[in-house]
Amino acid sequence: MNSAIMKKTMYFFVLPALLFYCIFWIFPILKLFQYSITDYNGYVQNFNYVGFSNFKTLFKEEVLMISIKNTLIYTAITVILGNIIALLIAMLLNANIRAKGFYRSAFYIPTLFSAIVVGFIWSYVYMPEEGLIASFFTKIGLAGWDTNFLGSYSKALYSIIAVDIWKNIGVSVIIYLAGLQTVPQEMLEAGRIDGAGKWKLFRFITLPMLATSVTINITLSVINGLKAFDFPFIMTNGGPGISTNTLIFAMYKMAFTDQLFGKAAALGIISFAIIIVITIVCVLTLNKKEVSA
Amino acid sequence: MKTESRLKRIGTHLLLLILVFINLVPLIIVLSSSLRSPRNMTNPLNWFNEFTLDSFISAYTRMNFPIALWNSMVLTIVSVVFVVLFAAMAAYPMARIRSRTSKFLYMFFLAGLVVPGQMVLIPIIQMIKGLGIPLGQYTPILMFITCSLPFSTFLYTGFIRSGVPEEIEEAAYIDGAGLSTRFWKIVFPLLLPVTVSVIITQGVWIWNDYFFNMVFITKTIDSPLPVAMLGFLGDQQNPAQWNVLFAACILCALPLLAMFFALQKYFVGGLTMGSVKG
Amino acid sequence: MKFLNRKTLVLMLVAMMLVLGACSSNTPNSGSTNATNNPSNTTEPPTDASEAPVTLTMLVSGAKAAEGEDFELETLPRLVKEKFPNVTLEVQKLPDEQYYTTVKTKLGAGEGPDIFLVFPKLANMGAIEVAKAGYAADLSDLSFWDRVSPAAKNDMSYDGKPYAVAKGMDILGTFYNKDLFEQAGITELPKDWNSFLEAAEKLKAAGITPIVMGDKDPWVIQFGMYQLAANSVYPTDPEFDTKLQTGETELTDEKWIKTINQYKELYDKGYVVKSSLGMASAQAVQQFVDGKAAMIFTGTWDLPGVTASGAAQFERGFFSLPGNDAGQPVYASASTAAGFALNAKSANLDVAKQVFEYLYDAESPLFEAWVASNPSISVFNGVELQNDIFQDALSEIQSTGNAFYFSNQMWPAGVSDVMQAKFAEIIGGQKTTAEDVTKAMQDKYKELYKE
Repeated sequence: MNSAIMKKTMYFFVLPALLFYCIFWIFPILKLFQYSITDYNGYVQNFNYVGFSNFKTLFKEEVLMISIKNTLIYTAITVILGNIIALLIAMLLNANIRAKGFYRSAFYIPTLFSAIVVGFIWSYVYMPEEGLIASFFTKIGLAGWDTNFLGSYSKALYSIIAVDIWKNIGVSVIIYLAGLQTVPQEMLEAGRIDGAGKWKLFRFITLPMLATSVTINITLSVINGLKAFDFPFIMTNGGPGISTNTLIFAMYKMAFTDQLFGKAAALGIISFAIIIVITIVCVLTLNKKEVSA
Repeated sequence: MKTESRLKRIGTHLLLLILVFINLVPLIIVLSSSLRSPRNMTNPLNWFNEFTLDSFISAYTRMNFPIALWNSMVLTIVSVVFVVLFAAMAAYPMARIRSRTSKFLYMFFLAGLVVPGQMVLIPIIQMIKGLGIPLGQYTPILMFITCSLPFSTFLYTGFIRSGVPEEIEEAAYIDGAGLSTRFWKIVFPLLLPVTVSVIITQGVWIWNDYFFNMVFITKTIDSPLPVAMLGFLGDQQNPAQWNVLFAACILCALPLLAMFFALQKYFVGGLTMGSVKG
Repeated sequence: MKFLNRKTLVLMLVAMMLVLGACSSNTPNSGSTNATNNPSNTTEPPTDASEAPVTLTMLVSGAKAAEGEDFELETLPRLVKEKFPNVTLEVQKLPDEQYYTTVKTKLGAGEGPDIFLVFPKLANMGAIEVAKAGYAADLSDLSFWDRVSPAAKNDMSYDGKPYAVAKGMDILGTFYNKDLFEQAGITELPKDWNSFLEAAEKLKAAGITPIVMGDKDPWVIQFGMYQLAANSVYPTDPEFDTKLQTGETELTDEKWIKTINQYKELYDKGYVVKSSLGMASAQAVQQFVDGKAAMIFTGTWDLPGVTASGAAQFERGFFSLPGNDAGQPVYASASTAAGFALNAKSANLDVAKQVFEYLYDAESPLFEAWVASNPSISVFNGVELQNDIFQDALSEIQSTGNAFYFSNQMWPAGVSDVMQAKFAEIIGGQKTTAEDVTKAMQDKYKELYKE
């Protein structure tokens, strides 16, 4: 098992995956670095090297700051709110013995729908005056309330964040539920006998046992939040104005509408850096917490 | 004591039902609207005020459902098969060998998670073109495999390390089994739980992907379900016929829903794989 | 013994072959068919394009027809097949945003479709840009240009050569509900800005929403803006956009400030439905069609949508938004519409050209089908106006020549987006001013305009 020959030949197993990965992922990413210092417009094949001017322009424009802000808000809310809600639901389900499967499935169903479908459905829900929420308000007599969700500078971002949470809650619930079920009843009983209240029980027994689930859920949600693209793309086109632009969406727009691929690549590099930094910070913090738990 | 906990249980059920209801309300509306005829424009909150399959029929024909379904199936199944094979194979040395190289490889693959597909679209196409691979019906498979590798190798590596004891392999080695035999006949079958997990997590996103399919597929007839749905979007010349639209949405989700209900146990098992094993 | 697992190696090789094989064993794509065409004598369309089967790919934007046969997706391939039995036309239709992404990506990668949609002049995917980049084929050698209006041909040309055949001419205007106008006591159509404001006020007083717009889809902001620009910017300075290119003038010019303020006025006075920013254009059209609003700004291309049957039955009318001062003539906003272009690098260019000849041949059934399904006003000689509703506006334009094109056709792609994004802030009640909008537009223009 530990002979040198074994080790070396084992590496062959990695080859197919590595090949694909390098050709179709790594190399294009490197190309991105190259393009970020050119004025390539993604369309005409000739381009010039322009040093860091793309980066400089980006830092001067408001798109960069607004996208970063939006992306951070998007991530923070989907991660924090999403996980808390999922955990609460999982706890409710855990307490109840029967029909767990039914509820679990019910919460998981939205995940099975494609983002396009979810985007459609919620565009309809949010439609002013005739959409689901608007009709509901009218029905219960709140006709005057402002139902312009996707068209409002203040509400649009939060509206699409809600959709993201809605779609992904099922997965978190399932993972938390499974985690909760590994908490040994005896420990909880022992705690209760010792006189610990609900909160203490949760904080010192349940939560530590959930450590892995929490880490995985949070890391995944953080990465997905930072990469947010689908819902701004499908539901608001980054608008109104640029109030729902996220980093990746802004990059996409720059590449395909403005035809400034070099600049978009530069934005991509910046986004990339931000995503990596935040992910690393996140993972390190969670790992520390996990170890101490 | 008993009645108290009974009340508690009823209360919990109630709360859950309300939550589920709120959660599923959009889908209920979708269902009810899809069961109306295409021209029925009454308030969607009047649930189920009509019961006809006209919208479904309209959506079914306009989307070319059977063909789109077939396309989705081919793309997803082929991609998933390769992902499972490649990722499991790659995880093997990364899990078993404790060296700097293997650690580097592990991180290398994992790092790929951080990059979104939209970022690298144009260089990827140039790459594909440069290699002489034509853009067509099966090209998205390349991307599906590539994008699934990071997460899948992560799952497999974790599981092999903690879930497949080295002793088993040592025993086989002593019995004279070669490397390839050891992997395929012993380790791989033991990886079933993770394989299921990979199939489900990757299968769902691949099935639902619209982005790569949209860009790589040239002919409408090759389009899988999500792209076929795009045809209902942005109806500038034809004001949205919401009922038909919703019928189309349901048709698209139907295959996955069916699979989910049939294989619920595996779905849940698969999803919790990574977290509980830890 | 070498544990160099032959088995594993073979497995991997086979796996890779399978994958690569799967990718390349497609049904023929644009690049992979043989093109044994006879060099076509371009003065007369031959009946048989070639002996070998040819597949042409086509990509256009739009939505699939709700009822009946869709022209591009169904009629076109069918009639092409009838005429040229060996030619199979594969058409893909995508919504606007996706169209731009897909077609550009494909062209950039050298995998573009044989036929695609091109817009006039400098618009996004405009004739000038595709010609310069070498993606579109020079169509000067096609025979029907003498039947096409010179303006339409020019708008699709670069360096004197045409690169696309325009679908026709589109007019941007105001569709209105004749019944609602009567109800509010509006007896004649407004012919200047103040009268328009008065008419809108009358509607509001009668409890009718004057205007509905689907501003959630940001491009619709252009629909009102350009009609106003046609009156407030260009009549006194027709060369404005050319001067922009040389730097003689800027978008911050007071004419544009006036234009933007005029459009802003409509929103400030509450003439446009409050929730427009949250409404997609499809929903806005639906509101109009349901009789919930009296007017909607859009163009001739939207005729099918605007005349679809809805909750209310009423007669529609069409007029140009009079942004002019009293006493001045009303200028219409009209432009060449988009049209089909051919891929210069196509392996089947000759076959595609023959298809074009057939399509635009006045005698062919394909031409007739095309004209019948085309909401734009045809720019081919001898084709009658299909839709009476545009008769008045069209006659005005033809007799007085008082019309200007859509501004975005002379701006680099991206400037109109900034205009839309910034103006949306105004609609959304932010503190943005017309000056802010024009400044942002000018900055973007400078960034994007390269000669």
